[in-house]
Amino acid sequence: MSQVTDSSLQPASFTTPIQRVRGTNDFLPAHEARLRKLEGALRERFARYGYEGIQTPILEPLDLFLRKSGDEIVARMYAFSHWNRRLCLRPELTASVMRAYVGELQGRTLPVRLSYSGPTFRYERPSRGRYRQFTQVGLELIGVGGAAADAEILHLACGGLDALGVKSYRLVVGHLGVVLQMLRQLGMSEHAQGLILDLMEPLTRGRLAADDAVRRVVELLGGGAAAEGPDGALVGGGEQEMWGLADLAPDQAAAVVADVLRHTRLPLAGGSRQPREIIERLLARAHRPDPTAQVRTAVEFVLRLHEAAGGAEKMSLLHELLEEQGLSTEPLHEMQAALDLLRAYGVAEADGGGREVAWEVDLSLARGLRYYTGLVFEVYVDTEDGPLQVCGGGRYDDLIRALGARESIAACGFSFGLERLDLIGASSDDQPARLPRVLVVAVEEADHPDAIEVAGQVRAGLAERCVVEQSLRFGGLKAALRHADRSETDVVLLVGDRERREGTVALREMRSRAEQQVTRGDLTDVLRKLLT
Amino acid sequence: MSDGALRIALPSKGMEDDTLRFLRACGLTLDRTNPRQYQARMRGLPSGPAEVVFQRAADIFDEVEHGTVDLGITGYDIVAEHRAEEDNVLMVHGELGYQRCALVLAVPEGWLDVASASDLAEVAADLRARGRELRVATKYSNLTRQFLYDRGITYFTLVEVSGAIEAAPALDTADAICDLTSSGVTLRENRLKTIAGGTVVESQACLIGNRRTLAASPQRLTATRELLELIEAYLRARKHISLTANIRGENAEAVARLVIGAGDAAGLLGPTVARVYPKDPAREREDGGEWYAVTVVVTEPVLLGAVEALRRAGASSISGTPVHYVFEHRSWTFEALKRQVGGGGVDDQSAYLRTKTMAWSSS
Repeated sequence: MSQVTDSSLQPASFTTPIQRVRGTNDFLPAHEARLRKLEGALRERFARYGYEGIQTPILEPLDLFLRKSGDEIVARMYAFSHWNRRLCLRPELTASVMRAYVGELQGRTLPVRLSYSGPTFRYERPSRGRYRQFTQVGLELIGVGGAAADAEILHLACGGLDALGVKSYRLVVGHLGVVLQMLRQLGMSEHAQGLILDLMEPLTRGRLAADDAVRRVVELLGGGAAAEGPDGALVGGGEQEMWGLADLAPDQAAAVVADVLRHTRLPLAGGSRQPREIIERLLARAHRPDPTAQVRTAVEFVLRLHEAAGGAEKMSLLHELLEEQGLSTEPLHEMQAALDLLRAYGVAEADGGGREVAWEVDLSLARGLRYYTGLVFEVYVDTEDGPLQVCGGGRYDDLIRALGARESIAACGFSFGLERLDLIGASSDDQPARLPRVLVVAVEEADHPDAIEVAGQVRAGLAERCVVEQSLRFGGLKAALRHADRSETDVVLLVGDRERREGTVALREMRSRAEQQVTRGDLTDVLRKLLT
Repeated sequence: MSDGALRIALPSKGMEDDTLRFLRACGLTLDRTNPRQYQARMRGLPSGPAEVVFQRAADIFDEVEHGTVDLGITGYDIVAEHRAEEDNVLMVHGELGYQRCALVLAVPEGWLDVASASDLAEVAADLRARGRELRVATKYSNLTRQFLYDRGITYFTLVEVSGAIEAAPALDTADAICDLTSSGVTLRENRLKTIAGGTVVESQACLIGNRRTLAASPQRLTATRELLELIEAYLRARKHISLTANIRGENAEAVARLVIGAGDAAGLLGPTVARVYPKDPAREREDGGEWYAVTVVVTEPVLLGAVEALRRAGASSISGTPVHYVFEHRSWTFEALKRQVGGGGVDDQSAYLRTKTMAWSSS
């Protein structure tokens, strides 16, 4: 009984098949061709609008994405240290393209239009349409701000879907200017603003309750209950009040603290921080108000914006909402201007061209990235399993400067998820018909050099008209013809002893099984007639 | 050694004594010709002895993952740090109840302004703004990185220290540490303090197994079931006490009613009541009513309540004895294991680890 199990008890060895990494795909020939065509159709469309291709490395310094991408992305990155350098697989392409722009293209006349495609990586729970390696196909428009540029990229996103025959989709447009204005008005620090931007997506998608969102942000900001330390930490909120530090002038307070510490003989340092830094922060902390009310206001505002989302008819409601909060309605005007221009481009709701484009304005749209500053948008296509986001992008006027540019440069862009486009059945119109296949067979190994010549002659004479495959196994005629049948070959060209002597080729049509001897000189013409 | 014997790895060094004590309490003994040997046989399983190898707790996860052993006892912290999405490791029993400790973040005592994880996030941002970076020394890089990310801390460097981690801040090779602590004494001695919300994971000893080797051998699976039965019965029993008291009443039913009516004293199922035959029957008749011995098994938290209830029911001389084993009609952990081993239960296993780890990652 125990004998039976022995082989299966061996540890995994060199002969065990290697599994594909979870959340990644092997795209097999037919599928791969389809994806390549989708990508080609999009890139070609972008090129016609003046977007030049750029390719950046998959491997990037980790710092590139720590600067501005936001915690949601950072926590999902494939990051590692290799020989003491911190690297990562890119989780998106915009930051990479902007890094390249800052490094090498800054001198160019603006605007600079760039398009790209390539694999990106995020460690997320895999599901339908969500993979850990996925392909982004997109573009960036650098150096122009305002509605004109926004409208161009919106149009190209819709145009890209047009090129792939996707006629029915929903375009959700937002503008981060509204929420950012509100957060600044509330006096929130940049850190706090980032935390709110990060949770806008889970909050509005119902993945995070409002109370939990408030609690989380307050906790991360160090307000409320989180300030009570264990271990008798000196700085629980209550103790500060007892010391009355908050009421003292900063330098007096610093002196008091320094004095107390001298008496308690607590070593006021550790790691790389100076005592001065520690006391300064301790006092700053004592003066800081509880952020709970602020955060709650921000979270409720985001939810109100989300509730007010809808079609064009909601615009006046949104105007009212902003005015009520004392916020500028400039972002709404900017958005409206872009949408109006989009009409001029010919993208409109149910415009009679068989397209069904539903528009929706949602000012709570944040896209889970921290670098957006203005108009943002996402495109959804309905599937059996619910709506699938196939495209997303927006304006990020601060990113280039954050990556070390000499000045702030307006920029916007978007990307498609290639695998998702494939999933919704998008296909490029200009699908070339299947090319006829020709197989060149050497009967004996000695005939191979002549067979190579024949194949070369056909490829040169009938370029783009057919696929020429060279048989590399000299297993005899029968085996070669069997292979031709299985590989859906149209014509087999045989080169044997007799053909070599006579300067001919035996041409066999696989469908009719008709065979003829053709001289090498006539071969190209005969084939051309046969294959067209 | 027989071909199909269960192979189990036990932790040497730090965890060895507690593990041997635990196994002994479960009724399992080790044959070892001398205590410095790394191999032994474990007796006490009805289906025969198991092969035992002693390994460092940190290496046991890998041994189980590779299938060189079928089962292993190690710390949950090690499992949480080493687990991978598609590994072969099953959590067979997650709470063996000893070697309790926690992986915590600790900072220098002198950092008066740091009392919580959010303070640390701010310090990390401050340091970054000054062109420096928060350095955290740890042997648990996966758990630490994830923990910091979850708290919005993205600017940090993990420092790999092989020796005494808690000395790193004093030596200025790190600013903070992330290490195991049970009493906090070592932290204090090194002038470090924990912070609010700084517990990365709570840990204790746990039993893990290799999915493939267990699935492939009914014999080893049987031995595993026996092992689990003993462990479960012991762990369950640790919380139970058997109480015996003498109570007077008209008959057995009346006494039982009295005891059940007294609430906490009802026991697991109900009392066992047996007649006591007095040395002096005449005296019994004088006092009225017969004596009965009542036995109930109660859990630790209700022990005093049960004693009180028995007194109210008129009990005299109550004696309590610890229960060594409590067997239920089946082993629940083995049922769970069978589901994981059979039915290609990759998801079951990851679901288990998910729930275990979600508990701390979402908190």
